[in-house]
This record gives sequence, C-alpha cells and structure tokens, in this order.
Amino acid sequence: MAERTGERLLRLLGMVAYLDGRSGVPVEDLAEQFGVTTAQVLQDIDTLWVTGTPGYFPHDLIDFDADSYERGVVRLTESRGMTRPLRLGAREATVLLTALRALASSLGPGLDPERAAVLASATAKLTAATGDAAADAALDVRIDLPGRPPVVAAVERALLERRRLHLRYVDTAEVETERDVDPQRLETGDGHAYLRAWCHLVAGERTFRLDRVLDAVVLDTPAEDHAVPAVADPFRPSEGDVVTVHLRSRARWVAEETPTEDVRTLEDGSFELDVRVQHPAWLQRLLLSVADDVLAVRPPGAAVAAAGVARDALEAYAGLGLDDVPPGDGRAGTGGLG
Amino acid sequence: MPAPTPPAERLLNLVIALVNTGRRMTKEQVRRSVAGYADAVSDEAFERMFERDKDTLRELGVPVVTVTGAAHGDDVGYRVDLEAWSLPPLELTPAELGVLGLAAQLWQDQALRTDTDRALTKLRAVGEGPERPDVLAGLVPRVRPGGAALAPLVDAVHGRQVVQFAYRAASTGELRTRTVEPWHLLSRRGGWLLIGRDRDRDAPRSFRLTRLEGPVRRLGAPGAFVPPSRAEHEASLARWGEPPERRAVLAVLPERAPALRARAVPDAGETDAALPGRGSDGRDVLVVPYRSSRELAEEVVGHGAAVLVLDPPELRLAVLRRLRAAAALDAAAAGRGDGRG
Repeated sequence: MAERTGERLLRLLGMVAYLDGRSGVPVEDLAEQFGVTTAQVLQDIDTLWVTGTPGYFPHDLIDFDADSYERGVVRLTESRGMTRPLRLGAREATVLLTALRALASSLGPGLDPERAAVLASATAKLTAATGDAAADAALDVRIDLPGRPPVVAAVERALLERRRLHLRYVDTAEVETERDVDPQRLETGDGHAYLRAWCHLVAGERTFRLDRVLDAVVLDTPAEDHAVPAVADPFRPSEGDVVTVHLRSRARWVAEETPTEDVRTLEDGSFELDVRVQHPAWLQRLLLSVADDVLAVRPPGAAVAAAGVARDALEAYAGLGLDDVPPGDGRAGTGGLG
Repeated sequence: MPAPTPPAERLLNLVIALVNTGRRMTKEQVRRSVAGYADAVSDEAFERMFERDKDTLRELGVPVVTVTGAAHGDDVGYRVDLEAWSLPPLELTPAELGVLGLAAQLWQDQALRTDTDRALTKLRAVGEGPERPDVLAGLVPRVRPGGAALAPLVDAVHGRQVVQFAYRAASTGELRTRTVEPWHLLSRRGGWLLIGRDRDRDAPRSFRLTRLEGPVRRLGAPGAFVPPSRAEHEASLARWGEPPERRAVLAVLPERAPALRARAVPDAGETDAALPGRGSDGRDVLVVPYRSSRELAEEVVGHGAAVLVLDPPELRLAVLRRLRAAAALDAAAAGRGDGRG
C-alpha cells in the first residue's frame, strides 16, 4: 500500500523547512536525512514544485534552482512562507519524552559519560521545545532490566563497544553452561530482559534471559557480524506442544507476562491461555507459581507432575517443622485493583 | 480530463493557501481556488473531502483555526495560525536524533508508533544531519503494548476529560461501566495501569488496561475535572512505587537453583533469625535480597523441594499457600477444579 497521506505531507513540509537557509543539499543527503529512498525524494520534489498559493502562476509556486537540480542538488529558491518547522502535537511530544525518560532511567547508570550526555541533551532540548506537554507527566514508564547489576553493565558495555562476551548461563532446565557470544541486541519484553546473541558454542543465534546469566565478562575480542534472519517475535517459541491453562479472572496478569498463542475470556471472567511449551520445566514452574488460580489444565500431564513436586516440597517443609498454617489464611492478592 | 491531484499535494496546497491567506478563506473560496478541490464531483463530495482534510491537518498538528465573519454569524472561514505553528528554535545533532529514533522504538502500540514517527519526521527538519543510530546500538528497550485504550487515555489525561469504559473487576470477573477522572498512566512490570478518581465510588482507584473491554468514551469538555491534590496524587502512586529491599533466608539443595545462588549476598546476621531448619539435611543456607514478595515466592515455588524459605515467615506462607494449591492440581487438571471458582 502507498504511504499514508499525512506522513507524506509532514515530510514535504519538513523538507521545505530543512532546505530553507541551506545553500543546496544533494538528493542522497536529503534522502538520508528523512530516511527515504532517493526515488522518493525526487517524487517529493516534483510534488513540491507544483504546489503553492491559489492562482498557481510561476511566482505562486514553491520553486527550486533548476540548474542545481540537474546536478542532483536541491536548492530551494521560493518557499511560499513555509519555512518554519511544525511543532509537535501534544501526544507526539508526550510519548517521545516519556520514552526518553524511560530510556534514561533504565540505561542511565550503565552509560559512559559521552552517551549519557547525548541522552541528556536530547531530553533537555525536546523538553524546552515542547513546553506544556513536557511539564505534564501523563505517562510514567519504568523499564526493568532484571538481572544482576554487574551482568547488566557488562552486557551493555559489550553491545556499545561491539565486543565479545563470555557468559555463564543457566537454562530453563537448570543446566549450567559457559559460552562465548557476540551480542546483537538487548531487549525487554514480558517482564524479562533478553540478550540476543550469536553463540559460538552452538554456532547459531540464541536468546538468553538476562536474569539467568550468572556471570558476564567483556572480552578483548571484537564481536563479529553474523547474518541472521530477522525473527518476528524472539520471545515466542515456535516449536513444542500447545497446552491450555484455565485461570481465574484475577490472574489476568499471567496473560501479560507469558508469551501465548491465544487468550480466550469466558463468560464468568475466567480465561484460557494457550501456551506453546518448549521446556516441560517451564510449564511446571508456571503452574506452581500460579497454582492458586489454576482451574484446569489440558492435557493434564504437567498439572499432575506439578502436584507431585508440590507434595514433595510440602513434605520437606513438614520435615523441618516449617509447614505452619497462617492465622486466617493471609491471602495476598495482586493488590486491591479497582 | 486531467489526472486527479494526489491527496498529499491537495493537502499541501490547502496548508499553503491557509497560511498565506490575508485573513481567512471560506469553504467556497477553498473549493474555487485551491488546486485539487475541483476534483470533487458534487457538493457532497467536496464537503466530505474538505472536512476530512481539515481533520487530517489538525491531527498532524497543523493549527487550523475557525474565523467567523463579522457580518454574518454563520459565515465561517479558516486560516492557519502561524503563531501556534512553529516549533521553538531548536537544532538537533545527528547523535541526538539517533537517540530520539531509538526512543521512538520503545512503543509497540501502533497508535503511539504513529505519533513518534510523526514527531521524528518533524524533528528531522531541525536536524543538523541524518541521525546516527549507533549511539545506543543494540540497546532496544520495549514497553509492553497498552492496547487500543492507551492512545485515547493519554489524550484524556492530557485534556483532563472524564472517561467511561467497561471494566472487568479483578475479584469477581464482573463486567461493569466505570466513570473515571483520569490522572495518570503507569507502565510497570505488572502491566499498564490507569490511576484516577472513580466517580461512582468518589475515591482514587487503579485500573489495569488489560481489564478494559471495548472502547474508551470521553465525556464532556476538556478541563472538566479538578486535578488531584499533590497529596492525593502521591498517595495514589505510592502503591506502585518500588518496595524497599528486604532479605530472604533460603535453604537450597547443593548445586540447585544457580540463578538464585548468583544473587546471594554475604550473611549479615539474617540467618540467626532463621534458626529452625538451619543447616539441616545438607542444604546450603543463602541470603537473597528481594523487593517483591510475589515475584520471589513464584520463583521459589518453581524450584519445588530444592529451595525452602526459612525467613521471613510471610514469604514462607506465600510459598506454602501456592504449594498447597499446587498439590491439588491433579484434581483440577481432571476438570474437577471448576467448583473452586
């Protein structure tokens, strides 16, 4: 489908404002500035060239220097008063500033002074340029990077300096491994942070949950570039059996924090999650942690196994005399939501 | 007949005309003189085209104002308010633009991505050069999607406009209409929350965006409610702040739970309080800092008998409660659990 009209209009206006006061900008540079192809720039210039004030005689139109244009350089000679850059809308300003603040709070401590300064100056300039919208903190976003602070710092440093990392990692099945990886991206998703990296142990791309990285050491070796196909959603497993878990309404947060195939809300507000299970240990852990709110599991295998694990654990507590029953249940819900 | 004017070209002509008009342009003047509107085949087609264009411009942040003629009250004209048009003087370095580009990727909701893309296009016009994406290369924080309700709620918080929506109660699963003065939107590890005054209960409440069903309706005029006092505001946020760090004493079977072990800190006397069970059956006793009881209880329970909580008692009770429920899971799995709801 063609680009949306509004987006193109904003670029056309932006280009006139950008070109105003510049003596001439090569088509390639203009394309790079606005993140489009040179063919698109040529189309945009053609459009600008035929627009102007009513009458549409030559002197009414936006105009460019034809000789420069022949040589692939865009020089604006008549702007029809459209030289001022357009302000940001209230929501545009809010969402961008909120994102900057969230970035600063999550990355801030790990950044070197030079990068921290860029982040701070971008925030300060945007704040000054948006006035009221900036003062109004309608949105408050906190990004957690769960993981040990030294691990988070090492991963961030390796990414920024493009260096190889040595990891000590424990997987879902509690198997501990050591490996060298070339880090690609640090991503946050469903309440966890993940490192996407090329792993030299398996010669392939892998995702590592940051809170399962026991140790990370930045090596002197530069990280190599590896051509890997883009993954639509790296957090969602693509293989494994689908299991349906039926949960009480109040456990809705599970649907937010778990990669799911499908979520169905039933009449009474309870809901069913379809999850794809790559590791049985993962599903067992999920069932144990939300056991309070589990109404049914299909097929039942994982629930039967989880019940066995729970009984063993209760026995271990009983063995230590620590299986006390709370006075009056002491149920702690997710916290008095409206 | 000439080919129809592309919409972006027509809109640009309209903007330029409304910027350059002496005082105002009426609809009829627009139709007669602005290139592109002659394409409209009927009065209705023109009306639709013009109204849509006007909405599009306003949505993009172009300040199109209505000017009523002095002579006739119903004689409406339009112009662009240049005072309100401009971004204040601003220049962005390529590195700063690069950081803004990365920040824009934080959002996963299409509506908010559209907002940040538009903001970036506008800001590129004041960039000293093309953005340098490498400044924070590889660091791609993302915020969970807030869903269709997020964008209208941002607008409502901004405009101090009362909202109404269908909400499924956490405790009962019951779906009810709620009328709320929206104060604030928060994204935390647990998800997106709207905080505001519930008009029916006349008290501050929090609402999870995932429990909103159907559209968000905005009621009445902007600026229609009194914003919360500072004290009210802080009290409503306090619950969602970061809880203080506490320490748990755990008894862990040898070589199990390495991720928990990695977070252990030296014992600073905590284990004294956890005498019962200490050092029994060859377990290692670890001191692990934590903030959220719920999160640590979920993690510990996942390890089954390999990790036991010695202290504090409330954390142990949270684990035991889950274990007792889990011990009955085979019954639930067989489909006999429905009676518990």
